[in-house]
Amino acid sequence: MNKRRVVVTGLGVVACNGIGVQEFWDANVAGRSGITHIDAFDTSNLASKIGGQVKNFSPSAYMPEEIAKRVDRFVHFGLACADMALRQSGLEVGSEDTNRIGVIMGSGLGGLLFHEEQIVAAFDRGAHRVNPASVARISPNAVASHIAIRYGLKGPNLVISTACASGAHAIGEAFRKVQYGEVDMCFTGGVEAPFSEFNFAAYCALRVLSKNNAHPAAASRPFELARDGFVMSEGGAVLILEERDRALARGASILAEISGYAGNSGAHHMVMPDPDGADAARVMAAALKDAGLQRVDYINAHATSTRANDAAETKAIKAVFGDEARAIPVSSTKSMIGHAIGAAGAIEAVVCVKALQDQVIPPTINLDNPDPACDLDYVPHRSRPSTLEHVMSNSFGFGNCNVALIFSRYR
Amino acid sequence: MPIAEIDLKVRKILSEKLNVGIDTITGDSRLAEDLGVDSFGAVELMFEIEEAFHLKIPDSDIEQVRSVKDIVAYLDGFMNKPPAATA
Repeated sequence: MNKRRVVVTGLGVVACNGIGVQEFWDANVAGRSGITHIDAFDTSNLASKIGGQVKNFSPSAYMPEEIAKRVDRFVHFGLACADMALRQSGLEVGSEDTNRIGVIMGSGLGGLLFHEEQIVAAFDRGAHRVNPASVARISPNAVASHIAIRYGLKGPNLVISTACASGAHAIGEAFRKVQYGEVDMCFTGGVEAPFSEFNFAAYCALRVLSKNNAHPAAASRPFELARDGFVMSEGGAVLILEERDRALARGASILAEISGYAGNSGAHHMVMPDPDGADAARVMAAALKDAGLQRVDYINAHATSTRANDAAETKAIKAVFGDEARAIPVSSTKSMIGHAIGAAGAIEAVVCVKALQDQVIPPTINLDNPDPACDLDYVPHRSRPSTLEHVMSNSFGFGNCNVALIFSRYR
Repeated sequence: MPIAEIDLKVRKILSEKLNVGIDTITGDSRLAEDLGVDSFGAVELMFEIEEAFHLKIPDSDIEQVRSVKDIVAYLDGFMNKPPAATA
């Protein structure tokens, strides 16, 4: 089967350090953290009290008020990002064959906030008091369905849920569908709104969250010796992918190309990564092979700031690139925005596209004394101008769901 | 509760739910034809009304309601005119 070229023509992003591509990218290049004390609920009984909440986000700026009222926060993020991406793409949906435009989104947790509210209502007031909107609001696929309903997109409509790899998986699968001609365009990305009290408490109980409550902006510190866990965050991103010739024919501006994708499983543990990073190495190698490349110019690492992840990922990068590994800059978006679970891979895809466009590598902030097990070039503190042709983005989800994506400068 | 108060409360719920001005909703407004309430919207609306008036409306009664004044009359009957005791 013929492989078609797949390009990115629109981006939308909502993150704790910036809403909209420009504000978000400027913050990343400047090394600005979006982590603060959590005010979404009372954290006094919890060990971790910090997170990347999106502040000053007004859903009705991006969608009609009557829709904003009826959907959960993860769908707000999805609709807002889709709106931004569509505007940038210049696409007029009405002039296209909408049967050939898909929507593939990632979400690890779905409509958790409304779910929790309704469970509490059922216990407090009786099960007969559960809101009839619950089914439609809680379903993880609400995000892809609402994007399709809003714009009349009648192609394949999916939500992929692979924990922290969800957004990257969605982009990878959307890439394949466009590449092999199942659709011509796809809205894809990931969203997450994880700040429910129960969910946050569950991650606290797992002892994976940073307890550096005194210094929120310095708490997410991938590869640092003193790292003590990840910082949870919320947000989303949407990319519009198109078959290259169609994008050119309609006069679209092409932002970057997607050239490689692979997904696999470590088949090891629901929460722990394989300490050797063998599965992470295999997925990176497979993505390189898919792109027909031997190396890349930059790696946007999964880099969560947990002891286990950062060391295993470093091992994996060395296993794949050998002696060259130390010459490849690696940085962590999560050092600035924390870990947005199912949105992380999509938000990091936006970073990769912008890095290729502006030829700049955003930094890993908060990295003062690297862990001896983490001995690569992590671009500490300050962004770095660099010649970038091909960049890789890694995403590793709980349950050992691994994804590597490769983005290339469009020529 | 006086019927005028019921009427105002119902129109407020509808206005909020449907995102339309309260003045555009009259007693004669029909839910489906004039206000665009589909069957799922009607289920949601009845839930909001049950919450606001602290009562439970049987499914069979929901099907009888067509217009705003039907809702108001139903609530008035439910709250203010208890059924006569049966022998």
